[in-house]
Amino acid sequence: MDKKSDAYLRKMLKNWVKRQRPPENGRARLLWDAAHTSHHKIDLSVILLRPQFRSYSSSNDWPQTLFTWVNENSLQLGIQARVI
Amino acid sequence: MSKGAEEMEAISDSELALRLQAGSLEALGVLYDRHRGLVFRTALAITGDAEAAADLLHDVFLRLHRFAAHIDPRRPLEPWLYRMTTNLSYTWVKRRQRWFRPLEDVADWLAGTRKDTPAYQAEMDDSWRQVQQAVSSLPLSHRGVVVLYYVNDLSLQEISEILDIPVGTVKSRLHYGRQALKLSLGLLAGEIITDLQYEFT
Repeated sequence: MDKKSDAYLRKMLKNWVKRQRPPENGRARLLWDAAHTSHHKIDLSVILLRPQFRSYSSSNDWPQTLFTWVNENSLQLGIQARVI
Repeated sequence: MSKGAEEMEAISDSELALRLQAGSLEALGVLYDRHRGLVFRTALAITGDAEAAADLLHDVFLRLHRFAAHIDPRRPLEPWLYRMTTNLSYTWVKRRQRWFRPLEDVADWLAGTRKDTPAYQAEMDDSWRQVQQAVSSLPLSHRGVVVLYYVNDLSLQEISEILDIPVGTVKSRLHYGRQALKLSLGLLAGEIITDLQYEFT
């Protein structure tokens, strides 16, 4: 093997890929997408004990209350939720 | 850098992988910052397309998050990242060859922006385009080995484990890939691309 031309080839290829850089907003985009596809179970107590949720509980219609609250807040909290 | 961020930086990949398995997005962010360079470079060298490399970088780390439970935290993370990156890059190249390239050529022809026109050629630096074309003209299996060996400085044994092929096959692909590259770039006759020399100082 010709070591000189091999070293030259290595440097040439490294310099070629170094000309481009990963996107600056890559980390934020990744974390955003990861949070939205997370399969980790959400601890409902964290949600149910929030003051906003307790204010709904004055209503007697609990299923409707839960349905409304989840739909109103799931987007804001960045979680996927479904009430059947 | 905040104290918390500094602490995270000092944590090993194994510990971060464990935290990732427990659902920590912060651990994913630190792993991304630590390894994005190697994933991006590898994807870029195999695909020859910076936009595709950025998308593949995103996909690789999204899969790391998704399949974290299947990763063994006691083993080094880099081989997993290299394996995932090469596999996804191969898929991208094959898909592009099959579907998108002919469509893109037609679109370019209709729009009058064919890639063999002087206007397009002027956009790319000629010498670097020569390197890109030389790498892209290698068969995919040779390209992966060449990229891991020259761009990422991996040993033959490491490449063999990442690509799951015998060391002899790595040697053979590297030999043919190297010869083809040197021939394309005029290195066999000792010819040097003068435009590129200043970069090496």
